[in-house]
This record gives sequence, C-alpha cells and structure tokens, in this order.
Amino acid sequence: MPVVSVRLRDFCSLIGLDLSIDDLKDRMPMMGVAWEREYEDGFDVEVFPNRPDMFSVEGLARAYAGFIGVSEGLRRYDVREGGPTVYVDRGIESVRPYILVALIDGVNLSEYALESVIQLQEKLHISYCRDRRKASIGIHDAGRLEYPLTYRAVRGDELRFKPLDFDDELTPEEILEKHPKGIAYGHLVRSYGSYPILMDARGRVLSMPPIINGEFTRVTTATKRLLVDITGLDIDVVSSVMKILVCNICERGGVIYTGESIYEYDTPLGRRVKAPILEPYRMELNLDRACKLIGVNIGVDDALKLLRRMRYDARIIDRGIIEVYVPPYRVDIMHWVDLAEDLLIAFGYDKVEPIIPAIATIGGENPLELFTRKVREVMVGLGFQEVMTYILSNPRDQFDLMRTSRSPCVEIGNPKTLEFTICRLWLLPCLMRVLASNKHNPYPQRIFEADDVVVLDPLSETGARNLRKLAATSAHVEADFAEAKAVAEALMRCLGLRASYKPISHPSFIEGRAASIEVDGVEVGFLGEIHPEILEKLGLENPVAAVEVNLESLYHIVRKRSGSVGSAYEVSNRFKASKSAHTSTG
Amino acid sequence: MDRVSISRSERRVLETLGSQGSPIYIDMLASLTDIPVSQVASLIEDLRSKGLVECVREGYLSIEVTDEGELYRRLGLPERRSIRRLLEVGAIPVAKLAEEVGLTDMEAKIAGMWLIRRGWAEVEEVDGVKILKPRVESEPEPTPDEKLLGDIGFEGLIPIEASRDIMEALSILERRKLIEKDVKHRVSVRLTDYGLKVVRGEVEVLEEVTRVTGDLIATGRWRNIVFKPYDVTLPVYQLYPGRRHFLRQVLDYMRRIWVEMGFKEMEGPIVETAFWDFDALYVPQDHPARDMQDTFYLRNPCLGDLPDRSLVERVKAAHEYGGGTGSRGWRYVWSGEDARRCLLRTHTTCLSARTIAKLKSCDLPAKFFSIGRVFRNETLSWKSLCEFYQTDGIVVDEKATFAHLLGYLKRYFTMLGFRDIRFRPAYFPYTEPSVEIEVYHPVYGQWLELGGAGVFRPEVVEPLLGMDIPVLAWGPGLNRIVMMNYGINDIRELHANDLRQLRELPDWIGV
Repeated sequence: MPVVSVRLRDFCSLIGLDLSIDDLKDRMPMMGVAWEREYEDGFDVEVFPNRPDMFSVEGLARAYAGFIGVSEGLRRYDVREGGPTVYVDRGIESVRPYILVALIDGVNLSEYALESVIQLQEKLHISYCRDRRKASIGIHDAGRLEYPLTYRAVRGDELRFKPLDFDDELTPEEILEKHPKGIAYGHLVRSYGSYPILMDARGRVLSMPPIINGEFTRVTTATKRLLVDITGLDIDVVSSVMKILVCNICERGGVIYTGESIYEYDTPLGRRVKAPILEPYRMELNLDRACKLIGVNIGVDDALKLLRRMRYDARIIDRGIIEVYVPPYRVDIMHWVDLAEDLLIAFGYDKVEPIIPAIATIGGENPLELFTRKVREVMVGLGFQEVMTYILSNPRDQFDLMRTSRSPCVEIGNPKTLEFTICRLWLLPCLMRVLASNKHNPYPQRIFEADDVVVLDPLSETGARNLRKLAATSAHVEADFAEAKAVAEALMRCLGLRASYKPISHPSFIEGRAASIEVDGVEVGFLGEIHPEILEKLGLENPVAAVEVNLESLYHIVRKRSGSVGSAYEVSNRFKASKSAHTSTG
Repeated sequence: MDRVSISRSERRVLETLGSQGSPIYIDMLASLTDIPVSQVASLIEDLRSKGLVECVREGYLSIEVTDEGELYRRLGLPERRSIRRLLEVGAIPVAKLAEEVGLTDMEAKIAGMWLIRRGWAEVEEVDGVKILKPRVESEPEPTPDEKLLGDIGFEGLIPIEASRDIMEALSILERRKLIEKDVKHRVSVRLTDYGLKVVRGEVEVLEEVTRVTGDLIATGRWRNIVFKPYDVTLPVYQLYPGRRHFLRQVLDYMRRIWVEMGFKEMEGPIVETAFWDFDALYVPQDHPARDMQDTFYLRNPCLGDLPDRSLVERVKAAHEYGGGTGSRGWRYVWSGEDARRCLLRTHTTCLSARTIAKLKSCDLPAKFFSIGRVFRNETLSWKSLCEFYQTDGIVVDEKATFAHLLGYLKRYFTMLGFRDIRFRPAYFPYTEPSVEIEVYHPVYGQWLELGGAGVFRPEVVEPLLGMDIPVLAWGPGLNRIVMMNYGINDIRELHANDLRQLRELPDWIGV
C-alpha cells in the first residue's frame, strides 16, 4: 500500500489549524488511513489503494479537515474554458492512444508543494496507473510553451531532445538505452517500434510518455503556470488521474483551464475530448438501507451532516432518499455501499455497539477433518511427533530422491525457486527431508504427517484435487519392517479395521521388506524399510521404517462399514478417484 | 543401639574389606568382590556417607618404557654390553666399538659416553688412534637406574614419595628417553572403626534395597528391609511424548471456536481457477494481486472449467458495468479465458465464494468457516512464506449488519484470549464496509493488527447468490497469533520441523 509522507507544518497550514502529532496519530486511522510512523517534523501514513486522491498531503488534508468538521461539503474548484489544445495524430492510436491536457494558472509552488506534486505523481504511477502502464503523468512549466500541442508517434531516431536530468540531446532509442527511466519503463513502448512524443507548436518536446519529460519544461519553485498531460491505454483511468491531479494541486490555489484533445480517430468519448470534467457525480443513497447495513440508526439530519463531513454534498430528495454529489476525485465510489461506508466512518467505527444476534445455526466440522484428527490422535498415542511440511515440493524430492520414476503432477508455471515447482503427490519424501534436517537431534525419531497432497484429476473442475494422506517414519538403531507393520496394525485396530499385507516391490524400500496394505480388498497404502540408497543420499545413519496410507480410502471404508448415510459435508466425490491415487507415485 | 541400613552389595564390599584388614585399592576391591569398578566406586561413596569406610587418595608415578628402553631392557644398556666385551678383549679402538660389540653407530656413541661417565673405561691415544681401555677389573654391579629399568616391567608403579636413589635413577632414565613418567592418583579404601563394628556384627544392620520387586511384595520381605533413599535433585533422562505440531494445536483450537460459535466447515480445492479465487470476489483482472509475482499460476493443469454460464455472465456483468447490482463496475472488458487460469489458491476466501454460490434461500441464515493452506509467490524470508494456513468465516443472514460483524469479531477474539479489541476502517477489494481488527497485546505493550473483516460487496454476493443480502466475512491473522504465543520471530520456523523445537515448545493451552 502506498505510504505518503506528510510535513506537519504544511498539513496544518492546509487545514488552517494547529494539530499535534499525538492527536493525529489517534484520529487519522479512524478516517481510514493507517499510521506508519512519526518523526521530527512530520509523519508517514499508509493510504489504501482505493483512495488515490489521498496519495498526497493536499488530499489527506482535504479529507481530514472534513472528518474533524473544519470544512465540510463538496470542494469546488475554479475551472474555466480556454486551456491548451492538443492534436492527436492517427499514428499514435496503436501505441498509447489517449491523452488529456489541462492548464493550471497561478499556482504557488513552495518547496513543500513541489515535493508534494512529485510524491503524488510517483504514488499514482506505481499504484493507480499500474506502474505507468494504464496511464502516466507529465507536469510541465507552461511558461515558454507555444500552442497548439501535438501528440504523435515518432521513429526511434526521428528527433532528439534533452530528457530531464541530462545535458545531452538524445533520440528516443538512446533514451531507452541510457536514461535510468528509459531503462526502467522502456518495456512499455519498445515493442511498438515507434515512440509517443508530446511537442509544442514549435516542435519542442515536452515529454516522451510514459518514459520521461523534456528538460525544456522543467518545473521549479518559480513556475507559475503548469501544463498537465496524462496519456495512457485506458481513457477512464487517464481521465480519473487528471481529476485527482488538478484537484489536489489546486488545493493550494490556482485556476484550472480546460484543455481539449482533438483526435484523428474515434475514442469512447468522441473525437474532441475536454478535460478535466470536474462535475460531481450524482448518486442516491437510501438511508434506511444504509442504516440496516451498518446496524445503527442515523437520523436524516445527522446523515446529511456526516456525509458533508466526508466532503460530499448531500440533500434529502424523498423520504429517506438522499441525493449525494460525489467529488470528481473520488474514483473509488462505485456503489451506494461505498457511500454507506463513508457514512459509517464519519459516524465513527468506535461508536458502533458490537452485537451478537440471536440466530440459531448448527456448527460442525468436515467429517474428513474429524477422521483425520482421530488418526492424528492414534499416531500421537503411538509416540509419533506430528510435523507439518509444505505441499509445495520439487521432482528431485518427490521422485528422484525416492528412486521412483517421475509421474505427472501439478506443476507451477512461474516458480520463484527450484525448491517449489510442483505440488507433492505423497508425504513420505517430505518426512525423509525432515529426518535429514534433524540428524543432530536425539533418536529415536518417530514422526508423522496427516495432511493433503494434490493429484491431477481431469474429471474435476480445476483439473486437480486434494487428497488426504498419512505418512509416518521411525528412525533409530532398531527400526525395521516389524515396527512399520506394527504401527499400521495399531492404526487399523484403532479404526476398527483389519488389514492384510502382501509383499510388493517398491523402489523406495528394501527388496523383500515392503508390503502393501489392503482393507476390504482395497489397497490403502504401503509400508517397509527405506532403501539404503535413500538413507545414504540424505546422510542418515539409522534404518528408517515407514508407512504411507491413503486416508480418504480408509475414511470411505470406515463410513461404509458404520452405515453412515452421508451428511451435509458429503465428500464422496473426493474418494471416487482416490483408489488409484497413491499408486501414481510408484 | 545404633542401626544402619546397607544393601547386599554394600555388605559384600564391607566383608571383603574386613577380611583384607588393610587399605585396598578400588580396582582390587572390584576384582575381589566381582562387582564392576564403576559400581564399586558408587558403593564406596554410599558407604563413606554412612561413615563405614574411609578413602585415601594416593599419588603415584606411572612409568612407561619407551621403545628404546624396551630394547635395552632385553639386551642390556650399550655401555654394559661394551664393558663386557672390553674386559674380554682388553682394548677396542673407538672407531671399532660398534662393530666389535654389535651396536649401531648411535649406540656406540652412547656407550662410549657412558663408559667414561660411569668410570668403567678410558680413552688412550696410540699412534694417533683412539683406543678404549677398561678401568675396572671385573664387570661392575648393575647401577640403580639399570636395576630400575629391569624392574619396571613387573611393577610399573612407583609411590610419589620414593627414595632419593630411585628418583635419581628415574631422572637418568627419563633424560636418556628410556622411560616416560606421569603423575596419577588412585584411591584405597579401608574400614572405619564403625565399619569394623558392622562387620563384626556389633551394630544392628537392616538390609537396604534399591528396586521394588515383585518378589519383595509377594514374600512380604519388604517389611524387613529399607528402601535406599534417592537424591531427588539429580537429573533424569528426557522423555519425548508423541505430540501434535504446535501449529496444529492452534488450528484445532481455532476450529473449536468456530464450531462453538455455530459455524460449519467449508472445504475446497487447493488448485483453484482464477474465477473462484479472484473474479467471483470482484477482484478486477488487472489487480496487482493477480500478477505473476504474487500468484502461483499452473502449467499443469493450465485451464479449468468455469461454472454454469449464467453465474459467469453475472460475474462478468458485475465487473464490466455492475450488472444488476447497482454498481458502476470496474469498467473494463472481462475475459473468461483469464478466469479459467488455474492457480494455487491465494486465500481461503475462495471457499466462501464457492459456498455462497451453492446456497439457497431456504439454507439461511447460515454460518461457515474454513481453515486451509494458501499459497503466495513470495520469496521465502523471515517474514514471508509462500505457503501458509489461513482461516476464514462468513455469516450469510438477511438481517446481518456491520454491528453484528463487530459482535462476532469481538467474541471471536475474546475466545482467542484477547481482552482489548478495537476496530478501524480498512480496505479490501471484496468488502464494503471493511474493518481492521486490532488487539492490545499486554506483553508487547502495543496494539497489533490481527486481521481484516467486512461485509461482502453486493458485486460479490448478488452474482453468486442471486440476491443481495449481507454476508459478513473475516479472517484473523493466524500466523501472527501463533508466533506471538510461542515467541517465534522467524515465520519460517512454523514449518521448519526442528524436532528440538517441536519437542520443547509448551502446548497451546488456550485461554
């Protein structure tokens, strides 16, 4: 979430009150910004990403002044016709099709103000503009500009200009190679083969969106007239950013002159688009519904006052229906529930009385979870320590380590590390890894895990499904097949089952010391003595006896035997395909 | 009359000491009583504490003969062998000594030096040739150091206060590197006067027994014996019972809270489609949380199925223009293909979406919870995991309000052991109003964020349920609660499975 730095003196002067940091620290979070930290002459707050209008001190001050009741209602800005015109060339349509421009005259750019404009621009770029992709902002000293402006696409070597912070003139291609911003944002335009350029009537370059501005229009504290250009791929976002930017800048005064973009192609808003449009957005709020949502009764007069404190204009138009005028910078308001939340914020989260309603519902756990817990209880009773390993794994652990052949499994397309590239198919390799990392701890080491693996299942909606398994290992000088089998038998006995055991050949176990576990003719797992090659690979010096069981198969059998007729938590679809599940690992 | 209790083994030691009459070394005692040395030592310690025996610790010199010393012990010192030959032949040129006596060159040098030093021979020069001649008439008596070297083989032990002669002899042998000596100690034991009385039967003796045996009980002999008292302060061996993982203990506890509050468990796949993980929750398709760097997308399976068409259409409409929800929507073109992408679920809230979609109005009011693993494409570090547990709860109730939400939350966190709870505004893409829960942690002395909550947006509920009724939702920060309770600072420890930690950490008691 964007963190906004605020100078206390600047903040106070914008509100027109002396405020203490302690007071702000207490109250600002109740307005809906998270306090980060305070320092000598200011503080940092974290602003929620849905409130780009508060990405700068001006927006924060505007909201806070309303919240504490210093200035209420809709903020109106001085907007006039007669701003600059920009001609938009057909060639730009496929590169970065939308541009809006506006002029602000009579700004007073103190050091604080300049700092704040830069901060606002940065935060908007990163968050709301999706790192300049959807929209990007150029702010210029309009003093020496000659109109009209032109926005068009140029070839990489078609012209040269001096980018910000550079002494030499560079071509667009050179900027992508040499300028830090070119290197950082070049990927947004490189593939088009041509570059967006905004130039004035004399062909002087204002900016190369979304990369860098020209040095020619650099803004300083002496700047009195600002030209704002917003370009981008999404005209809604471009237009919203324009509104937020001019409103926040004009919190310090200034007159906005509406600019006009004249396109050689159609846009969702037509071929001639004016900006900014600062007309408030009108919505209706049913106070009764809002109060029902909040669970607090708020009278009409109070509601109007509270909404005005959130910087809306509000008036009653019908019984219980409030007409709300939403300021142009509030790009987050899309539904009446958004207004209801603001009403609630103004009312005060701390003033809402928590209520537990008297409604009767019956709680309950998923039966497979209950069953798994029974199994865990048995394992704990047998002296096994539960471990909890990751579902994320890799083929080296799941197959190579265990001497099994690689089989299809859930694969991650964008893994960050080689350690986590697939979802596990069985638990035993995870336990072997735990043993390997505990060689320094006293033996005997008896551990188990009862949790999910993920298996591919073309029949399921997402192509894969969870499968509950149990694995246990015992590592000590005398660990052997008999122990593994005794553990499996104890588990079956506790679950009221009788298993039969057949010799199997399994690459993870010593030949002649591995068995399958069958209950009611269904193979539910296997056990044996871990193959010495695996022990050697892991540097384990004790024999390891191991069991792995498909708990869903067991669960299915237990349920069938007890004549259970199913419940609200029917999991039958989970075990339909589970019979073949564990054999998929070899 | 005095009484003393002694065990059978102690009695054996006492009697052996009594029959010997003089101090006796422990190793000797061990072989006489046929009790292992280590056990004898502890018996002696017990007897000493009862005042029956006393011990004397003596120092002694332990001698080891070097390889060279061992050779000379067998053949005689080089000078001894040389004087014998000299006396036989009368005179030997120095240069011929080795050959004549059968010595190495080095031994011949040593022999020459010691023949002169001991005064057994002298060197004369005849025609420029150095010749050894004996100065004694017959073979000299063995010197003290020779004798000692010869004897060591049998004794090897020399009292630390040995006579001056012996000490001198020892120092000669040591200088000649024929022996190595070391100071050691040994303990000898003898009966005290009291111990003597016991052996003579002048003191009443009760049998002392260590173990309670079936035999003692069956025969009733336990009445006539005394059980040996133990030093209860001594450390004992460690017991490691089977246990649930400490994280599991917390998860089970949370599960209990949910159930007690009347919530039913939800369940769903770990491999999810973007539709349920994001779209159904009104997360726009260009939202940063859906980026590759935050979410694990799958290569296999790659695309999943979308649910029934009308639901998909409603979700699409909500995203694009609000549909029938009264919302403006996100205002973009929604892609069904994006929604089909398979991923590892990034939160358990997708289970809530699935559950709501299955509800009918006759099921209401209803309350559900989930506890499950979720996945984030993060780099593993002390503060972030790519796989962790999350818990979520929803209340679907036509009459539900935000005030109810706070009521549930307050109750929930009280049951988790937190007394002071406060709420402040927050933001989540799928809830409005949203709230952040903060609890006061008395040990840390500060307010901590413990999770988010809110009322699901109509853009979420209406497409799924077909009607717009309030759905309260919350998910406490589970990891943080676990870490605070166990004093864990590195989140990776939750799944490190260090057996030491798993064995040592106290159980989760709950409050």
